[in-house]
Order: sequence, then C-alpha cells, then structure tokens
Amino acid sequence: MRNRPTIVLYGRKRFTRKGLLAEKADFHRKQAKLPFEEKIKILVKLQKIAKNIKNKKDIFVWQI
Amino acid sequence: MDKTLMMINDLKKKKLIKDYAIGGGIAAMFYIEPILTYDLDVFVITSKGGKSGKVIDLTSLYDFLEKKKCSWRGEHIIVKGVPVQFIPVDELEEEAVRSAEVMRYKGVHTKVITPEYLVAIFLRAGRKKDLEKVERLLTQANIEMKKLKKIVHAYALEKKLSSIMRGGNA
Repeated sequence: MRNRPTIVLYGRKRFTRKGLLAEKADFHRKQAKLPFEEKIKILVKLQKIAKNIKNKKDIFVWQI
Repeated sequence: MDKTLMMINDLKKKKLIKDYAIGGGIAAMFYIEPILTYDLDVFVITSKGGKSGKVIDLTSLYDFLEKKKCSWRGEHIIVKGVPVQFIPVDELEEEAVRSAEVMRYKGVHTKVITPEYLVAIFLRAGRKKDLEKVERLLTQANIEMKKLKKIVHAYALEKKLSSIMRGGNA
C-alpha cells in the first residue's frame, strides 16, 4: 500500500504525483534552453506584470 | 538591450574600463529559465587600481554616459532603456570577469560570467534571492563541478555550497 504511487486525476487525465513533479522539472529545464532573446522578451513581460500587480510607479520596465 | 551592450562595449573601446562582464540575474538567465529582475549588473575592471580598498573613481565612465544622454534613476544609470549598475570588481569578481565567456545578443558580442563563478558570487552574497538562483543554476545549467569546487574552495564557500546541495539554506 505504502509503495503505491499517488494518482492525480484531472477529468479523464490521470497522472502520478511523481510524474507531475517530473514534468514540472522538465518544463523548467526546457525554459532554460530558450534562446536568450526570447528570455529577455519574457523578462519584460514579467516586469510589466510586476508593475501592475504591485501598482508601484518606481518599477522600471525596460524600454527595449 | 543590444544598444545598451553596444554602449558598454564602447566604454572598453575608449579605455574607460579595462574589461567587463555581465553578472547578476541577467547573466544567470543565459543559463537558466527567465526570472524577474530589474537591472543589468556589469562588473568592471577599472583602468586604475582599486583593489586594496582605495577610492575607485568611475567619474570618467559616468561622464561619458551622461554625454550620451543616459540619465540617473536612483543608483542606476539608464543606458538605452535599461537600468545598469556598474560594480567595480573585488578579487573573486575579477577572476570571474577574466574567465567570462563571450556571448551574443542580437549580433552584439558581450562577456557573461560563467555559471560556476555566478554560483560562487551568489553563494557569497547569500541573500534568499541569490540562493534561489544558485539552486536554479545547479539544476538547469551545465555546471562543471570540478571547476565549481575549485572556486568555492579558494573562497571558503564549501559549506554554503554543500548546504544548498543537501537542499537546505546556505
């Protein structure tokens, strides 16, 4: 019983908890391999999101 | 950011600095997934001394940038739309700059601190956000462990590294 993997169900989809975490780690590794230019575009989007969420005028979004 | 890098390269061409390399969050992003950061850290080896705690004068560098219409924003100078902080190197950072890799961004060459030296610099800084970057570098970047161990040994950062590698806080 103890060795049985925990199953997570999303409607018809079925995952093990371990599998979900492995998939997440794999996603982060793939993101790390994006071209640097793409990462900078994502960074600017993150800065805009942070500025809106925090509603802070002192957050500077890169003008590039 | 390509124009920012071109202007930083100009500082070296005009001999206002001896050498430089990008560090901090942006350097980390060359090797890991995108992370939120607000500035570009540039580690500089200045043309004159500064190693032994003497005054480091970056006036000529900032004069040049101000003439190019770069404006101040707190402790940052906005270079072509990007807040930049120029950080004169200490011993560890100087080694990092000298062994930095040449990378390209939109066709512009720039020097970026290697992941091994980034880990050491972040470990030494030791803030929560620095240690988070160390964890990401260790899991997402191609780190040469032999090289990293040599650096952390030289700067007495072994305990901090092994703590992180065991999954704890340094």
